[in-house]
Amino acid sequence: MITTDELQINIGPQHPSTHGVFRMLITVDGETVVNLEPVFGYLHRNHEQLAEVNTYLQNMPYTDRLDYFNSMANNHAYALAVEKLAGIEVPERAEYIRVMMVELTRILNHAGAVGFMINDMGAWQTPLAFGIREREKILDLFEMVSGARMMCNYFRFGGVVRDIPDEFIPRLKKLLIAMPAYVDELERLLRENEILLARSEGIGILPREVAVSYGVTGPVLRGSGIAYDIRKAEPYSIYDRFDFDVPVGSVGDVYDRFLVRIEEMRQSRRILEQIIEQLPDASGGHINPKARQNVRPPVGDAYARVESPKGELGFYLVSDGGPKPYRYKVRAPSFINLTPLGDMCRGYKVADIVVILGSIDIVMGEVDR
Amino acid sequence: MYDVVDFLLNTQLGLNSPDWVVMLISHLIVVGMLFVVAPLQVLFLTYYERRAIARMQDRVGPNRVGYEGLLQPIADGVKMFTKEDIVPESADKRVHLLAPIVTAAPVMYMFAVLPWGPNMIAVDLPTGLLFFFAISSISTVGLLMAGWASNNKFALLGAMRAVAQVVSYEIPALLSLLFAVMFAGSMSLMAIVEAQGGLFISTTDVPSVPDLGLGWFVFTPVGFLAFVCFFIAALAEGERTPFDIPEADSEIVAGYMTEYSGMKFALFYLAQYILNFLLCAITATIFFGGWQGPGVAWLVNQSLSADNPAGNPVYNVLAGMLGTFYLLAKTYTFFFVMVALRGAFPRLRIDQLMNFGWKFLIPLTMINILSAALWLAITRWGTAQGFSIIEFAGEPGNLVRWVIAFAVTLVINVAAYWFLARLNVQDHVARQAALAAGWLAVSPPRSA
Amino acid sequence: MSNDTLTHSITFTETPATLTVVVDPTPQITRGRAVVVERRRPKAAGWSLLQGLGVVVDHWRKSFRKLEDPTQIAGTFTTEYPEERLPLPEAYRNMPILLFDDATGHELCTSCFQCQRICPPQVIHMTQAKDPETGKPVPAVSEFIIEYDACMSCGFCAEVCPFDAIKMDHNYELSTADHSSLTVHKAGLLRPVSYYQSIAPTFWAEAEASAYKKLEANKKRRPASIGIAPQMIEQVKAAHKLGDGQPEAASPPAPVATAPAPDAGSAATPASNAALATSEGDLPTDKAARLAAIRARNEAKKAAEQSASPAASAAPTASDGDLPTDKAARLAAIRARNEAKKAAAQAATDPAQPAAEGAATALATPDAPLTDAPPAPATPDAPLDEKAARLAAIRARNAAKKAAQAEEE
Repeated sequence: MITTDELQINIGPQHPSTHGVFRMLITVDGETVVNLEPVFGYLHRNHEQLAEVNTYLQNMPYTDRLDYFNSMANNHAYALAVEKLAGIEVPERAEYIRVMMVELTRILNHAGAVGFMINDMGAWQTPLAFGIREREKILDLFEMVSGARMMCNYFRFGGVVRDIPDEFIPRLKKLLIAMPAYVDELERLLRENEILLARSEGIGILPREVAVSYGVTGPVLRGSGIAYDIRKAEPYSIYDRFDFDVPVGSVGDVYDRFLVRIEEMRQSRRILEQIIEQLPDASGGHINPKARQNVRPPVGDAYARVESPKGELGFYLVSDGGPKPYRYKVRAPSFINLTPLGDMCRGYKVADIVVILGSIDIVMGEVDR
Repeated sequence: MYDVVDFLLNTQLGLNSPDWVVMLISHLIVVGMLFVVAPLQVLFLTYYERRAIARMQDRVGPNRVGYEGLLQPIADGVKMFTKEDIVPESADKRVHLLAPIVTAAPVMYMFAVLPWGPNMIAVDLPTGLLFFFAISSISTVGLLMAGWASNNKFALLGAMRAVAQVVSYEIPALLSLLFAVMFAGSMSLMAIVEAQGGLFISTTDVPSVPDLGLGWFVFTPVGFLAFVCFFIAALAEGERTPFDIPEADSEIVAGYMTEYSGMKFALFYLAQYILNFLLCAITATIFFGGWQGPGVAWLVNQSLSADNPAGNPVYNVLAGMLGTFYLLAKTYTFFFVMVALRGAFPRLRIDQLMNFGWKFLIPLTMINILSAALWLAITRWGTAQGFSIIEFAGEPGNLVRWVIAFAVTLVINVAAYWFLARLNVQDHVARQAALAAGWLAVSPPRSA
Repeated sequence: MSNDTLTHSITFTETPATLTVVVDPTPQITRGRAVVVERRRPKAAGWSLLQGLGVVVDHWRKSFRKLEDPTQIAGTFTTEYPEERLPLPEAYRNMPILLFDDATGHELCTSCFQCQRICPPQVIHMTQAKDPETGKPVPAVSEFIIEYDACMSCGFCAEVCPFDAIKMDHNYELSTADHSSLTVHKAGLLRPVSYYQSIAPTFWAEAEASAYKKLEANKKRRPASIGIAPQMIEQVKAAHKLGDGQPEAASPPAPVATAPAPDAGSAATPASNAALATSEGDLPTDKAARLAAIRARNEAKKAAEQSASPAASAAPTASDGDLPTDKAARLAAIRARNEAKKAAAQAATDPAQPAAEGAATALATPDAPLTDAPPAPATPDAPLDEKAARLAAIRARNAAKKAAQAEEE
């Protein structure tokens, strides 16, 4: 009788597909995963402490670097938190511009996320290349309006730093023409693909109760069947003016999350079309002229959250009346979504771990801050 | 080659060289050409693959080194040569050194039985096909040696997976090639190619068809199904996507090649590309007529040979060139298909791969052998063989018989494919339902 | 969490094409629906694989053209750098630069320290320029350093600069093997306004007017060649024959003969200053010296006036018509007249006449700097009166100086 033993393998911080520096200690019995322990902190950059020695405005470019894929979404959440704390109002046109940027960010995040997940499955970058091509078009728009592709630093308290130039909307319209073709092509390539189905159906199931108890949000939660989207549950900004659906999965496996992301790209496109329609009638300018950027909020605290493409991104700020925050805390969705990784991987094969990790869609910049 | 050399030496130059000298020279030339051709093919294939896959991804591919990047493989080669050769301290040094050699050398042997053109084959073994696949199995031992000698559990894991994959896919590969042996009546690759003259209908089945070199086996239902099965098995043999678990860098870095660097790694890489080239060439040879194509037969008729001493050796060369051109064109087309598959699909997990090979491909190929037998019976058996069911269709070698054979085998093959696919997919559905039920058990409904 | 009511039964409907999982009931949300994604099954085994292959080969085929338009989704997307470069939008920001005026060479930067304060990674360091003679800060910057290797190009410095002096450049090709060259000093940071105008015409057009207005105001407060870009300093010196503002190069103020007493009345008539101005050729070219000479001349004038002031103050009521039209000069003139009146009244009612004369003699000293305290009064027994008189004298002198300056411009 041959006795088998459990093997402990380290999928270490240097690895081609761990989405950044991330380490997983897995215990395997043959090919099946018995336990998985995530180890992170390799990208800790002291973000929250740094925020306490900078003024509120000086923190804005640092929020870009949290979830470095979606800088606009981070900016949005932070701006909302400070505006809540200091009681600053945002004019209508600025809100439209903000939502436009955030929805574009959602499209580009999901294009990249789907691409990276399929890349982890082994499709040698073709869907990734397509996704990155669409990302490039959107990043060109960001560069046109804010000056930088990824570290946009576009939002200010009370609005955005500058209005959109004239060539922005025509270019956006062109992009929106290409968008359905891109998503349809992606679906044709992948949605009914047997190999993809074999690799992702029934893999990495996250049961609803488990998801809720871990505090998971975003496409991961919606893939598990809970139709919770902050834009609908607690509308912030002007999201209550737009018609859009919330795609929801049913089984909570990797395939569901993949489908949810593709559908969300379509819904973001719907929102963008409504924005283009409604933008010319918006009142106000691109920023509240009475808002001071060197803000000294009254003593108190505020928590503001947005539906970032990865989940609920929240900023908790405590002010002591001075120009710098007394306490600055980031509720990073990738960090929270990563915690049930062990539960999600137990019982599956080693080859599935990377796919499951890809389906959660993490960015280590957020996880470690 | 023998004829040409004989002509050159004895007739033109007047040297009265004995037979063995002519043979030796001709063989040396052939072997020399093969040893030059193989690495050059690999160089070209790496470049070709990178450019093709880049174009599929809306980008350009390497185009900086030399004109349009044609010197890129040279740069890669230089890089491989100049890298430091790192051997882990606790590794088994001799086995570590031997493993790449054992993997790469046998694939070079496979060139010996590949027919490049009419009368252009290094060694026309009567058991060419068997030799081809038997030799390729030896390189599997090299994979296991590599994994073992690295003293690295990842590498060993990868090597075991690779060996399991290669060994289990050799069975459907060979089974799907059996029909060709049956059709051609010989295991010699040359004979198999020569049996594919004709015009969509092979001359062996219906001799009255004009010979334009297009009577490829793939135009029959038997051949088509065999082609599909063989190509998939060849992908697995050559460790190409979607079966590239051994080089899946997303899990176990580089599998059995993890602890190799520099030239040894280059040898593994070389072996893999040569094997893929050869598998594409074999596909072309067995299913698509190899060097057969419009014009080759005509050129051969004009050329110098034992049957036609008045022929012109120039036609030999021309026939050879045209034949080689056809073979290479077909081979590169199949390689393009391999590259396209690489670009399009994710990879299968090892257990899914095994399931697919054993539960789907092997039954399918076995049914294909049945179809092949029926084909042969219908097209070539008559009362002499005690097969008088379709006497009404006329003599063996009749077009009517061919049509009946086509219809019968088409029905059988399609039914088999459909049935087996259904069987395998059924597993999926059942599992899905079970999952959903189990999921409900795990996560009971919430009350609002 | 009111929108998560996916509960109860799950049914599979299995057709050959789809495997839809219908979850019942789907929750209601405002302005939209919660849609359960459809889990599709391939229609025929292997068909979707061929379809996927078709998509990929289609892309291969189309990739022989370039993807020009954002509406396309196929075509080569590569930009062959460095032969082709993508055009950068105006708002693009990478590394800050300082601006200087093309014509005069003056840097727009006044060293207000706003950018240094706002910079989040604190990579901007500057030193304010000082007037070499007086040691007072001047609105110009003497040294300006930005650490390019730590700068994150957030653009805050350009946003807060009140003088439009620091702007964001478009240059991204900054790779170098010399790390220390990434700590860039003022000379490396300065660019002419025309350069910035060429890279960001709209932004500069919006900022141009106010930037130049502020620059004009600042230029006046910059002595000699302080605040002129090093790239332009030779040209500017040659053009305007200016010194470089260092103390040792300044020539001492030339002694000026007291000008004859001008007409009575206000000390700030444009005519008298015009008379002064006509003798510009007599003045030394050195700016500081020239200014000193002008002041001396004015004081001399004032002294002459003051000596005549008791007579003039007998008829203190000068009509408004005598006053100059220029507002500042008028104010100065009115003040001077009032003070003169007061002094005269004091002198008339008080036997401290010599105090006024003492003050007058004090004024007659040609090279008395403005900031010096007046000399000790001649009679110590009437401190209040002489103090008042001294004050009057100082005020009159200031008024005259201001009027002279106004005229100079």
